[in-house]
Amino acid sequence: MVCMKESLKTLFTTYVRWAIVLSLLLYLVPAAGWALTSDTATARSNETSTSNVLGGVPTRVTWEAMVDKGESVAAVSLQFPEGSALTEETTVRVTVLDGTERVDTDSTATVDAGASCVNVEFAQPLEEGHRLRIETYDAALPNVEGEVTLAGTYQRDDGEQVPLADSPAIKVTSASPAQKIVNWLDEQPWVQAWNSVPILRLFLNPQLVVSSIPTLVVGWLLSLMLVLLGFPLAIPIGLAFAFMKISRSRILHVIAAIYTGVVRGTPLFLQIYIAFFGLPLMGIKLNDYVLAVLVLAFNSGAYMCEIFRAGIQSIPKGQFEASRSLGMNAVQTMFSVIIPQTVRRVIPTMTSEFILLYKDTSLLAAVGVMELMLYARSLVANTGNMTPYIVAALFYLVVTLPLIHVVGILEKKLALSDEGGADTKKRKNRRGAYQQMAEEIAGGSDDGSVSYQQLANAVDTSYAHGMKGD
Amino acid sequence: MADTPQKTAESRADAGTSSVTDPMISIQHLSKHFGELEVLRDVNIDIARGEVVVVLGPSGSGKSTMLRCINLLEQPTGGKIFIEGEEITAPKVNVDRLRERVGMVFQQFNLFPHLSAKKNVMLAQRKVLKRSAAEAERVALENLARVGLADRADYMPSQLSGGQQQRVAIARALAMDPHVMLFDEATSALDPELVRGVLDVMRGLAEGGMTMVVVTHEMGFAREVADRVIFMEEGYVVEEGTPEEVFDHPKSDRTKDFLGHIQ
Repeated sequence: MVCMKESLKTLFTTYVRWAIVLSLLLYLVPAAGWALTSDTATARSNETSTSNVLGGVPTRVTWEAMVDKGESVAAVSLQFPEGSALTEETTVRVTVLDGTERVDTDSTATVDAGASCVNVEFAQPLEEGHRLRIETYDAALPNVEGEVTLAGTYQRDDGEQVPLADSPAIKVTSASPAQKIVNWLDEQPWVQAWNSVPILRLFLNPQLVVSSIPTLVVGWLLSLMLVLLGFPLAIPIGLAFAFMKISRSRILHVIAAIYTGVVRGTPLFLQIYIAFFGLPLMGIKLNDYVLAVLVLAFNSGAYMCEIFRAGIQSIPKGQFEASRSLGMNAVQTMFSVIIPQTVRRVIPTMTSEFILLYKDTSLLAAVGVMELMLYARSLVANTGNMTPYIVAALFYLVVTLPLIHVVGILEKKLALSDEGGADTKKRKNRRGAYQQMAEEIAGGSDDGSVSYQQLANAVDTSYAHGMKGD
Repeated sequence: MADTPQKTAESRADAGTSSVTDPMISIQHLSKHFGELEVLRDVNIDIARGEVVVVLGPSGSGKSTMLRCINLLEQPTGGKIFIEGEEITAPKVNVDRLRERVGMVFQQFNLFPHLSAKKNVMLAQRKVLKRSAAEAERVALENLARVGLADRADYMPSQLSGGQQQRVAIARALAMDPHVMLFDEATSALDPELVRGVLDVMRGLAEGGMTMVVVTHEMGFAREVADRVIFMEEGYVVEEGTPEEVFDHPKSDRTKDFLGHIQ
């Protein structure tokens, strides 16, 4: 048994050896026939501010090959991979080198657009040691994600057609729709006319508008994420500090007063710097986005605290009394009677605060948190053109303008409902209702509430915040 | 077992009471001042179970403050107040439990504007009395019907007239099954044509045997419904008696003066 196993093993080893030798021979034999060896195939990057080669977008493809020993090459047909686009615009430049010397050769290059083929014929056949370079301008590689190679045939001096080995691979990135639009724009006469005006070219370059959108969308979503996480977090913070501020406890009141005073009295920019550079010094290392959300929430919480405090104090005292007289305790009164009414009143102010906070996410660019502003800044740095900033502005406005409109509507509604919703005549006459509200603010309302004064103060401080933040 | 009644009696005695025939509300030497301003001076009033007491007096005479002291919306500066024998002015008294038994109706109605009429009446039942939603709703509709607003149950306060709002406020207080109802100028903020509806509801309550303390300027109502009329001025109780005594044969010049101005 042992003996048999041994002999099988020997047999197997022998077989493997032969297989290796054979395959080496198979490899070498045809290689001897390929006597125009391609060693270089590249394509020029055709995407703004990256080194990517985009498929489906014209580029310059360079192919180089060495004429091997004992060969002569009379013609070369370079086959582009399937899906390539050669057009009437496509041009070819042929260079022949002997070592570092340029060889003057008479060559004719034709482009077969239908077959995606470049044909080059030489009056004098290339000799051994010559290096052939074929540069194809304005040829589009296939619009795929991956690697492509050039193939083809060459003709020997004696007329024999020999296939070319595949060239080294060219890495191709699939072109985005935006890039295709950019290329289309490049060719439009009106775009050229537009861009001939410096101010339009520098601030509203159509190609850059299109090409910066995909990048800025990412930044926009990140900014939105920051504010959509930070803002809801600021609400409980604000509410908690608002309760502290109106509480009878001196200590709680002082703590809340210090918090709102310091946070509202210093720039958000400074707070961001302290958080991003101070916490690491203390050995606290948080993810940038987590820290960004926390700083935004911490900052906005102080403004929210003032909004809620003013909102709560704007509810007429009679509401507390009615609720307490029914036997409800302070907590029940707060959450069932006061807060629901406060929410309605503070929603416009809170929406304004949301707008401010959303704009303030831009300050995080200073500490390298990737968001809309920082993406725009890097595009501007790459292109030397202001257009990405203008596009970024539009991305801010897409959010802020509708919200500003909503605030206006909510404020009007609030004014109407506070002034007595049952009176339909007044409901129709919005202007009249507004004037009445203005009079109430000026004169103070008769039921002893200080609602609008208080709210107006809160709004004022919020706007001051906005001016400071920007 | 045997000492339980005795204990009860003792604790009742401790609380300053001795029998069930005690007054519903007993106000003893009540005084209240806001800083320098003395609003109530040595007010003594006993109100029996089922009695309707109307408090009259010019503005600033302290009548509203006296009313607000009864459910501790104002903290008395001095004196004692007993409700059903329990001293509410004692330290550490459970104010919320006291207020369950004392309903109050305000001049400005103070309905919760974010809740419908029905929900206004249901809220405290749910939160304080821990009634089920169905039970609270049943009681709410019952009491809204009692004030003649069964068909307005789902209206928001802003959709109701002042008189309707005040009736909802009364229903809201009644839903808590109070032992006493306090009315603080309940009709003063109403347009004249809306006053009657509210007064009718109050009259109905009085006829039903509710103990009521009513601060009002409605002389007709006082004369017709009150068991006793109290006239206050500058924080003092100046005169008290049956409506006939006070209105027709006032003893004090101040009362005469006041009634002269009103009528």
